Amino acid sequence: MFRTLMTTLPLTIALALPAVAQDSFPDRALRIVHGFGPGGNADTVSRIMAEQMTQGLGQPVVVESRPGAGGTVASGYVAGEEPDGYTLQLLVGGHAVAAGLYNELPYDSVEDFTFLSTVGQFPFFVAARAGEYESINALIEAALAEPGSIVIGHSGVGSTQHLTGELLGLETGAEFIHVPYQGGAAASTALMGGEVNLIIDTGTVIRGQADAGVYDILAVTSAERWPGYEDVPTLNETVAEGFDVISWTALGAPAGLPEDVEATLSEEIARVLELEDVRGQIEALGANPQGSTGEELQALVERQIAVWTEVIDSAEIERR
Amino acid sequence: MIDQFLLGLSVVLQPDVLIYAFAGVFIGQLIGVLPGIGAITAISLLLPITFYLDATASMILLAGIYYGSQYGGSIASILLNLPGTPSSVVTCLDGYPLAQNGRAGLALFVAAFSSFIGGMIGVSILVLAAIPMTTIALRFGAPEYAMLVVLGLLAASLIGTGSQLRSFAMVLVGIALGVVGADATTGFYRFVAMPELADGISLVSLAMGLFGVSEIIRHATHHGRPTPRLNLKIRDILPTRAEARSLGGPILRGSAIGSFFGALPGTGAAIASFMSYATEKRFSRTPGKFGKGHLPGLSAPEAANNAASQTGFIPTLTLGIPGDAVMALIIGALILNGIIPGPRLMVDQPLLFWGVIASFFVGNIILLLINIPLIRLWVLLLRIPYQKLYPIIIVMICVGVYSHRTSVVDVVLTLAFGIVGYLMKSYRFEPAPVLLGFVLGPLLEDNFRRTMLIYRGDFLIFVERPISAGLLACTTALIVFSVYSAIRNRRPPAGLPAKNEH
Repeated sequence: MFRTLMTTLPLTIALALPAVAQDSFPDRALRIVHGFGPGGNADTVSRIMAEQMTQGLGQPVVVESRPGAGGTVASGYVAGEEPDGYTLQLLVGGHAVAAGLYNELPYDSVEDFTFLSTVGQFPFFVAARAGEYESINALIEAALAEPGSIVIGHSGVGSTQHLTGELLGLETGAEFIHVPYQGGAAASTALMGGEVNLIIDTGTVIRGQADAGVYDILAVTSAERWPGYEDVPTLNETVAEGFDVISWTALGAPAGLPEDVEATLSEEIARVLELEDVRGQIEALGANPQGSTGEELQALVERQIAVWTEVIDSAEIERR
Repeated sequence: MIDQFLLGLSVVLQPDVLIYAFAGVFIGQLIGVLPGIGAITAISLLLPITFYLDATASMILLAGIYYGSQYGGSIASILLNLPGTPSSVVTCLDGYPLAQNGRAGLALFVAAFSSFIGGMIGVSILVLAAIPMTTIALRFGAPEYAMLVVLGLLAASLIGTGSQLRSFAMVLVGIALGVVGADATTGFYRFVAMPELADGISLVSLAMGLFGVSEIIRHATHHGRPTPRLNLKIRDILPTRAEARSLGGPILRGSAIGSFFGALPGTGAAIASFMSYATEKRFSRTPGKFGKGHLPGLSAPEAANNAASQTGFIPTLTLGIPGDAVMALIIGALILNGIIPGPRLMVDQPLLFWGVIASFFVGNIILLLINIPLIRLWVLLLRIPYQKLYPIIIVMICVGVYSHRTSVVDVVLTLAFGIVGYLMKSYRFEPAPVLLGFVLGPLLEDNFRRTMLIYRGDFLIFVERPISAGLLACTTALIVFSVYSAIRNRRPPAGLPAKNEH
């Protein structure tokens, strides 16, 4: 009797499992894993989403921070988890950068993930101390006239901010000195203190100083002018035609998510992104709340992997 | 200024705001006592709550957790030798020996009182001199930070009780450990044996291992060591008149040093507490007493780190620039409330700005009031027999360390550092200089290389810039003074380590 039970048990479970997944996903707590420290942008966005998804899915959604190596520790971890929909990952623009920056990643940046939806998209702004440069054109002219005279402070080697600065140099032919700081706030302090001439960072880092008239925002990195900053010219229309850099936050999961689970999650994410509160909070973080299909997100990731890999090679940034 | 401060007080004294000030400092205090769980973990867990609070209440709550945890941190350091932050490492140096000698109540009282005075002086500076302090802080660029850290490293090798050569060697060990991880200038991986180490060794692992775990191993290997005698009468908690008199100078000097360094974004609070410890020891007539339960060695750094945790809000509030990760979280809460932190905050949101500052004032008073009665309760912790207390603490350390980066590697490293710390103690090498080297080494490297990058490798920049030159002069003077007094005295340096206590 016992023997029969033991031989049929795995079969019974195997038959029952998909049924359970179909009928009642989710029937236990979900988690959103991300690869950055508590309180950073990724953490905050995760918590905003988790808070609302808990309501919508009727199961607690908890946030798990697994920081390390530019988010790759978390990506490696998530890629190895069961694709059952209970483990999600908040991905950021750095996911695409990492594909070019690291020699050996324990995962494939595209193949090992199910891409669900973007959450927010945001551009970077080019800022200098007020009155120092009349326009972005004047800045590039000054840089071309005296190579190496303009110092850009950035938020860390291999950060999207850093690579955007490198790309600006490559596209315009200007030679900048790129100086790393521990995060955007430290780079901003250096700009205020007069140690660097320029920073390229998100609205959250730059807005406060710009509003107070301490900084001039010279340009935005997106291809089109950014909503709310209509008077800020794009790099695309001024000094570097075709320049188009935005960063993003998105939700993904391990590859091989069952279709119905994927559908449930995508629907829920779309619902949350329509909520007035959530839109307000994501906008407050300097991003445009915007969902997408999984295919659109995957295409975005693939496109950015190509761009950043090329910048890393051209700028001769050390791979790790 | 005073008018606006009173306006702020009127905000914070409303019952529905006051409750958040109280809740903040109370939670902060409790979190601070738990080994390894820092303000940053607590604040990030509470961040969603602030979605439902207005900006002023959120700021007051989160800021309260921050400076409340400074108070709490000293309790764990004094009673159990468990420092959670670089500043509480210094608190261990004299606080823990006091507790071991049965004077835990006194140590907690002196720490609470010194913290209170330091905090209040810090708030006063914040009210009266926020703008001038900001101007000074902005003049600290890479060369200034590099020179400041050199001075700090020198101070670090002064804080041990044994020979300075041994301390200096330990500083170097700390610097070497700090090298692990991605090089900040090129991104090159150094000694990254596994991906978990890409961002370096965790400070919490190192501190908990070298201090807390090693101490537990030491006790476990010495059977029958008596539980320290407990003095719980009020008379034993209060300092004697002579002791009280000896604390005035250290507290005031500590507060001044803390207030200044706190206002420097990034580096401040960590350097402040041991800079003040080193100052007291260097200019004390009895340097040999430091490290063995000397009250000025406890009160000066306590005053300094609490003053620093208040003036640390200067760049955050006046410029919208977070000085450390916790400040970044607090600013994040503001942003989520639709307020853009920046130089206009003071003008656009006077009620918020001054309300938060006034809440520091009120919060420090609340902390003092809840701390004094709790002292006797905390001291009772020591009555729990070691064989029951220590397993619990080990588990809590593991949970706390794990919570920082969700990393098992960190937990294993903590236990390994515990064994290393035990061996170090057995051979009379002290852990404090290791930690300071670990914190300061990367700062020196980053700022030195940044200077070289910006000023094209021109070494003269360090003497051309006035603040940097001044710091360099201080360092030189300190070295000359040390050498001179060593030659003049022609006797072994004061405070040769006492015979090993076990």
